[in-house]
Amino acid sequence: MRYDYDVIVVGAGNGGLAAASKLTAAGLRVVLLEKHNLPGGVASSFVRGRFEFEASLHELCDVGTKEEPLSVRRLFTDLGSKEDFINEKNLFRTIVTGENGYDVTLAAGWDNFRQSLLKVCPESEKSLDRLGALLDKTTEALAYNDRKKGRPNKLVMLLKYGKFLISASHSLDDVLRSLGFSYRARMILETYWSYLGVPADELNAFHYFEMVRGYINGGAGIPLHKSYGLSLSLAETIIKNGGDIRYNTEVTRFIYDENKRVTGVCTKDDEYYAKEVISNVIPHNVFGMSGKGNVAEKDKKLLNARRFGLSFICIYLGLDKSADALGIKDYSVFIAQNASSRRQAETEMGMYVVNCINVAVPEATPEGTCSLFFTIPVFTNKTMKGVTADNYKKFKSDTAAAYIENYEKVLGVNIREHIEEISVATPVTFANYFGAPNGTAYGYELSGWDGVMARILSTGNELNIKGLTFCGGHGAKGDGYGVSYVTGIEAAEAVISRLTGKNDEEKQ
Amino acid sequence: MKKSSEKTEKLKLNAAKFLKIIPERLKKIKDASSEEIKALRSYKPNLLAAELHPQIQHTTVAEIKKLTDDVTLYTLKADGGRLAPFGAGSYISVFAEHNGVSFSRPYSIASSPGASADGVYEIAVKRKDDGFFSKLIHDSFAVGTKVDVSAPAGDFTYEPLRDAKRVICIAGGSGITPFRSMILSILDGTEDFELTLLYGAKRESEILFKDELTAAAEKDGCVKVVFVLSDEEKDGAEHGFIGAELIKKYAPEGVYSVFVCGPQAMYRYLEGELPKLGIAGKYIRKEVFGQISDPCGEPDYVKPEKEEFELTVRQGAGEKHIKCAYNETLLSAMERSGIAAPSRCRSGVCGFCHSKLVSGECYTPGRCDGRREADKLYGYIHPCSAFPLSDMIIDVPYKN
Ligand SMILES: Cc1cc2nc3c(=O)[nH]c(=O)nc-3n(C[C@H](O)[C@H](O)[C@H](O)COP(=O)(O)OP(=O)(O)OC[C@H]3O[C@@H](n4cnc5c(N)ncnc54)[C@H](O)[C@@H]3O)c2cc1C
Ligand code: FES
Repeated sequence: MRYDYDVIVVGAGNGGLAAASKLTAAGLRVVLLEKHNLPGGVASSFVRGRFEFEASLHELCDVGTKEEPLSVRRLFTDLGSKEDFINEKNLFRTIVTGENGYDVTLAAGWDNFRQSLLKVCPESEKSLDRLGALLDKTTEALAYNDRKKGRPNKLVMLLKYGKFLISASHSLDDVLRSLGFSYRARMILETYWSYLGVPADELNAFHYFEMVRGYINGGAGIPLHKSYGLSLSLAETIIKNGGDIRYNTEVTRFIYDENKRVTGVCTKDDEYYAKEVISNVIPHNVFGMSGKGNVAEKDKKLLNARRFGLSFICIYLGLDKSADALGIKDYSVFIAQNASSRRQAETEMGMYVVNCINVAVPEATPEGTCSLFFTIPVFTNKTMKGVTADNYKKFKSDTAAAYIENYEKVLGVNIREHIEEISVATPVTFANYFGAPNGTAYGYELSGWDGVMARILSTGNELNIKGLTFCGGHGAKGDGYGVSYVTGIEAAEAVISRLTGKNDEEKQ
Repeated sequence: MKKSSEKTEKLKLNAAKFLKIIPERLKKIKDASSEEIKALRSYKPNLLAAELHPQIQHTTVAEIKKLTDDVTLYTLKADGGRLAPFGAGSYISVFAEHNGVSFSRPYSIASSPGASADGVYEIAVKRKDDGFFSKLIHDSFAVGTKVDVSAPAGDFTYEPLRDAKRVICIAGGSGITPFRSMILSILDGTEDFELTLLYGAKRESEILFKDELTAAAEKDGCVKVVFVLSDEEKDGAEHGFIGAELIKKYAPEGVYSVFVCGPQAMYRYLEGELPKLGIAGKYIRKEVFGQISDPCGEPDYVKPEKEEFELTVRQGAGEKHIKCAYNETLLSAMERSGIAAPSRCRSGVCGFCHSKLVSGECYTPGRCDGRREADKLYGYIHPCSAFPLSDMIIDVPYKN
């Protein structure tokens, strides 16, 4: 058998970078193949004139402080990254403009968070206590599930972690109702839903709480040199550990042997063979490169049953005045017409988020300037209806104009006259750079039957391809920045234990 | 699907629902189709991405027209189908082979975006006697020559949200090309803004597209054309250089944008002139400079003691040792030695040539340093705009 490497990692997104870092740290011979000429996938930035724009990251949850690091910060430190983070003191400001609207800012840190919600929903005291208890229980249950490698004893779960099971098997909205929150409190608490891409009446409550817990405890963590700094710092780790990174190297085919085991990959000019392959590339695309007959019928059905997660339109603005001078005070503002996430998802311009990085990291753009980053979730193909290659430029311009106008009206600021640089990304951009099917930024939709709990309980039984391990936002733990790094670490750990035989139980 | 209820009464939940998660999932999967996974192009965003950003476009030279003594217009026609659409002002990388090695240079698309639907791009190439690629084109392109070009790229396009509705376009020499495309796109209704062209040349005989530009101005009220001749006086043309005074003479009332595209000498001259206009910096946009031929003119450059350095280029598993003169870019040195290195804008801004500096030192002029902050921190360089200051080892990706 030919082995050029111990492990081939395909794709240098967050998952692939974390995996390759971990694998090389364990002394394995690793090659990381990336089709783009930069590491990071969406965790990137780009330069226009005197501005460098963050391409995708709003903030990382579960970062914590230098003194009291939480999981994400620890993960980077463990991998040898020296990148630092700024902690933003507020979670978000949420503005609902329609009937019974509100304008509320929630603070980070449990006590501040609690106070800021009580200020606008004083009736929430007891409900908040119950929420706190549930979050703690969730942590315990998760630790148990992890100990059992995703195959928990169902009876133990029922008896010991009943509260957790409730949040694991119900929608966010149902669980918040069961905790006794008022309508308004629920809507405010559900604000982050779009970061997971499924409306609150369908979104798995446990998944949401996992994220929100990380934001409340750690505050919103913003990397000092943008997400691209994180990406380069991991690339640095890989190189230092003796790994090879090949950019501009697109994998075109996965090589299977007669036992349907993945033994390597092909690029335009080369073949690479290894004992194990880790794919940061979404299963859909891997299957598309696997040839007929190599993947199991049930896995094909799984993929055909799935829906793609949402995509985004992003507007990046470089403004020739400072945030202060323009009257921009919030790092993160969620703007919606209607409080209900379901309605938000169903309406054009139903909701969008605007970040001003200078509020958290003043030196992120040159002095006397600032930048704004609009994130507009694209839930359906309706948004792109009628868009052709020829009118694409106009579509981007018109869309940006509409959102900028709305933002100015809602916030009462003038930015239009100060646009020095503008760039607009759409699902086409995601499709272009990452080959993401349907331009999805979030892998597979985490709806109902394919929610994160269902996936976690099914790991081990699905996409079980010999020699191939997946990592990335399309995995069991769902999309999300922090999570995608974690999936890379987990994939690497599984491979390491198989290759070094440290954990016999895990051998295939 | 149930809507979020407005009710506030507490809801009773049932932990046993947990047991239904897996059966429900298995049923969903069982009921799904088992057909092969659909090709990427079946999704609209992916199809649009392929149409807008093809990796490479194959064309054939369909027509050649001499515009002046040293400038030639090449009409490139797609080998079947259309060419990628673009915003007027974009450029393409044009590829050509020399001694079996593939080279490329950026050229603004001089034709209208609309013509791309018919599979046509036009480029106007000025032959430089001390040049390399422009001569290669002039000497080797004939009707029927196969030419590969990249997808359109660049940011020198009109953007209504950013730019003023009225734009003064300052062109020098072959820098007219992006503006010709903009004028054509105003004529055919793709773009909607008022364009006043101040086009500088030494003498009338060097003006490209003279009749065509004059006719465009007569046809469309949104287009004005002023020729500015430095070395001769002619009726109907301004005499001298394009500076603040002349710009003000033709500038409209109120806000306006200034777009500049021309030779480096023109940029240098305008650097002193444009501030005199008193307009906000955001209203001044310059096409990228192109390759800087010599770092010695840069204000913060300190010439190294040695004139030639050892450059070790790692690419994939291979390694090559070449020479690089102090006044040539790392990219040029690699190309001269037959190393296929990625490039596109060759002006430091697009990041296409992004490479890792393993050891050694180099100089990048500030005005063409388009690197990200983290690039500088972790030792990444753009070889198209970096000059050696010592022996160096660099890690360069393969050409895609
Ligand atoms: C955005 C943009 C748009 C442009 N649009 C236009 C346009 O519309 N029309 C136009 O005419 N120009 C345009 N240019 C300029 C164009 O890209 C070329 O730079 C121009 O044609 C100059 O070519 P040259 O032959 O003079 O110089 P080059 O081909 O660049 O020659 C000099 C360089 O070639 C290297 N070289 C010399 N000999 C060799 C050899 N044997 N092997 C390998 N390398 C060698 C040298 O080291 C040196 O670096 C544009 C540039 C940019 C950045
Ligand atoms: S080729 Fe564009 S930055 Fe070097």
